[in-house]
Amino acid sequence: MDSILSFCFAVAIAPLLPAVIQKTKAWFAGKQGPPLLINYYTMIKLFKKGSVYSTSTSFVFKLGPVVGFSTSLMMLLYFPMAEVAPLFSFHGDVLILFYLMGLGRFFTILAALDTASPFEGMGAAREAFFSTLAEMTVFAILILFFKLTGSLSFYEFFSGDHTIDLMGEYSALLILVVAALYVVMLTENSRVPVDDPATHLELTMIHEVMILDHSGPDLALIELGAWFKLLFYSGFLARLIDPFHADNVIVNGFLFYLVVTFIYITVGVVESITARYKMPQVPKFILTPFILVFFVIILSMGVMQ
Amino acid sequence: MDTLFVSITVILAGGAAGLLFYRQFTLMKVVAIATTSVGCGIGFYFALLNLLQGATATVSYNWLHTFTLAFKLDSIALFFLIPIFLIPPLTLIYSFHYLENEKKSLRAGVNYFFFSILIASMALVVMSSNMITFLLAWELMSLSSFFLVMYDYEVYSNRKAGYLYFIFAQGGAMFLFAAFAMVHSHSGSFDFSSFAAIPEQAKLLIFVLAFLGFGSKAGIFPLHIWLPKAHPAAPSHVSAIMSGVMIKMGIYGIFRIYLLLDPATPLIGQIVLVTGMVTGILGVVYALAKQDIKQLLAYSSVENIGIILIGMGIGMMGVSAQNQAMAFFGFAGAFMHIFNHAIFKSLLFMGAGSVLHKAKTKNIEELGGLMKRMPVTGRSFLAGSVAISGLPPFSGFIGEFLIYYGAFQGLAGEKLPFILTILAIISLAVIGGMATACFTKVVGLAFLGEPRTDQADKARESGIAMGAVMVLMAVSCLVIGVFPEPFIRLAFSGIRDITAVSSFNSDAFILIVRQLSKTAVLFIGIFIAVSLFRKMLYAKKEIGSGGTWGCGFTQPTVRMQYTGTSYAYEMVEFFNPFVPIKNAYTGIKKIFPGQTTWQSEVTDIAETSYQRYLTTPMLWLINKLKWIQHGHIQLYIGYIIIAIIVLLLFL
Repeated sequence: MDSILSFCFAVAIAPLLPAVIQKTKAWFAGKQGPPLLINYYTMIKLFKKGSVYSTSTSFVFKLGPVVGFSTSLMMLLYFPMAEVAPLFSFHGDVLILFYLMGLGRFFTILAALDTASPFEGMGAAREAFFSTLAEMTVFAILILFFKLTGSLSFYEFFSGDHTIDLMGEYSALLILVVAALYVVMLTENSRVPVDDPATHLELTMIHEVMILDHSGPDLALIELGAWFKLLFYSGFLARLIDPFHADNVIVNGFLFYLVVTFIYITVGVVESITARYKMPQVPKFILTPFILVFFVIILSMGVMQ
Repeated sequence: MDTLFVSITVILAGGAAGLLFYRQFTLMKVVAIATTSVGCGIGFYFALLNLLQGATATVSYNWLHTFTLAFKLDSIALFFLIPIFLIPPLTLIYSFHYLENEKKSLRAGVNYFFFSILIASMALVVMSSNMITFLLAWELMSLSSFFLVMYDYEVYSNRKAGYLYFIFAQGGAMFLFAAFAMVHSHSGSFDFSSFAAIPEQAKLLIFVLAFLGFGSKAGIFPLHIWLPKAHPAAPSHVSAIMSGVMIKMGIYGIFRIYLLLDPATPLIGQIVLVTGMVTGILGVVYALAKQDIKQLLAYSSVENIGIILIGMGIGMMGVSAQNQAMAFFGFAGAFMHIFNHAIFKSLLFMGAGSVLHKAKTKNIEELGGLMKRMPVTGRSFLAGSVAISGLPPFSGFIGEFLIYYGAFQGLAGEKLPFILTILAIISLAVIGGMATACFTKVVGLAFLGEPRTDQADKARESGIAMGAVMVLMAVSCLVIGVFPEPFIRLAFSGIRDITAVSSFNSDAFILIVRQLSKTAVLFIGIFIAVSLFRKMLYAKKEIGSGGTWGCGFTQPTVRMQYTGTSYAYEMVEFFNPFVPIKNAYTGIKKIFPGQTTWQSEVTDIAETSYQRYLTTPMLWLINKLKWIQHGHIQLYIGYIIIAIIVLLLFL
């Protein structure tokens, strides 16, 4: 029961949190910013609309949003938000889930290429490249976590005899992992300094350019999927750094989402105070966390023996 | 065992029928395809039954009173027989509509003839249990596939590709002869069972020789350069069988030699693993860099051979570290991937063939928009692409999952094995990501968007025999991915006769497999639910259509679409200097610029190195020795006499 409620809460709150980023950015810019519920309004507006489809597109174009949304939803089904056991979990689920995200990416890229637009092709190429680099870091983190806990599932990482805990014995190592995962989160969710959701040219970067031609409910599904994905990554980070452990589920959940909100605020801060990298520099930026995690793995060899 | 020989005889009879009836084109095709398929069916049934029952058999015949032809069936041989008998009938049915030119009737007949010899010889390769039988079957396989590659021999580049393949096949065989000769000099026996007894220090060299020999067939880097030449030259049903099944014979050979030698040194596993990583990563980067679909698929085969070798390497390292779980899942993953790759690679080659057949080009830059024009080919190619990128819920993921699982078990190792295991996992992740990039490129540029040329615009769906086979294979990719349990059990029975892992209990893992299956079903359920939800949202709404949004630009042309070269450019450049890109740009020189051109080409570093360090010096040397060939017959006779005397002195 807890699991179902936790999942529903995560789905419900996913659109709210990105508004926190917008608020933070607005605060930095000295503006009032949109209301916190802006994303729900956007959803309702988009769901009410129809769509315009390009004559170049085929059924693959319509498949993209659906597959992308479904894969993001799968992440929330298998991830233990707020220290509550997820709805599904098994030894090895991290592998299939990260690969399912790959499937979502596969169809998003195809949908972009289906429009025959040169912009969207460019965005698709960048997405394919950068996410491959980010995947290296993700798998390096999985190797490290397997080394530390002997498990291959999100739930097992944070429960059982050996858990990943910043306050635990490997805290020094985990700090580097937190930094690495933060960069992966920025990359995978198309945030500054890799991509700019506000799209100010450099031929309009990655995520936003790929979905230029989507409209109406299709666009709503894409946006929802993106918010779920961001919530998953920040939830993952929050589980790593969350210092609070209360016995009460509700209090625990509250504290967890507090940490998640904090992460969203930091994303807003990063976006306000840094500029986006030039595209050729992005690979270097994405590879840095990989080196960090690789270094941590080597260090862990000494710790574990 | 007798059933198997019956099946081989029927297959060969089917091939002979192709030659006999070539005057009646359609009749010939029907008879040849049907007979060969029946033969394959018998063999498939036999192999599957015996594999599941765990039967083994040996038989030997005397040949020419000097040699023994010995055959042996164990679980490994039976497992490899399954793709050998499963894929060819499908490609043959496909060929019914692929070979349409009635004027080339005799050639089609010859094609069926060599095709049947290829199937029979592959079966014999995995059945044989002494050196003589093995090498006979091996040579037969190389030669018959050489003739299949030479189908369109009028085209100069095809002949060149065929000769290159011939050189690699025979060069590889030379290494095998050397390896076998070394074994024979130690043991004095031709039988495979004598391998284990030879001294330990000789085993490494023998393995390396055999690895090079078999590797040139399998297409390991840098012995792969015949693949991207021979596959585009061969007809598509032949490339399908060569890439899907025949190159796996190289893998079989490596595996068999490893098991026979049963070496104690951990070095062998490490060699295989490192080769696998290099082959996998460079294979997929070159695949990404190529614009010719069939060349791209050939490089992608190189990549998949890399994945299989990574699995095998993990398994071998598990054996030498006495880590049973690692060994078991490494081998099982390699076997699973062999089976899956046979299906989806054949499917993709057939899809490429269908495109080539109708659009008359296999260059991605000249295609586009085929999904609407060739819906069956397009959809099955899409399924095959998802499968080969290793994405769930399709079949490619299952093999990779097993290999990952084995590699994660190996993280308990120390120092070098530990580092290698980490690198193996990272390379698998990179290969997966790059494969996604590579196949989104093919599907996205060749099948989606707008047609870039008139030919592509006029392409229509291929014949029913081609479509039916492709749909069948696409569906099986999905079925294996969603319900992998029986297929994984098949792979497990395949490795049953490997003594190092035979006592491993896989029951706990089967539970994980069921969870995988559950996850796939759950995902498909969500997918269907979301699709229905989306339909509901669009009910009774205005759906407009118009041109693609070009940021206000109103005169777009199809030539403004993103190209394959630019899609891949950044990723390929990242792997410089291992994947060199050559650009030629004429530049803009005048105030009112004239026509200017920009060319980009990726050359295979292995090929250029061979040219620079092998063929060029060799040609120079041979040029210097030209004087031996002077045309004076009396001196030639002198050569013969000297040669005989020298031989007499030394023998």
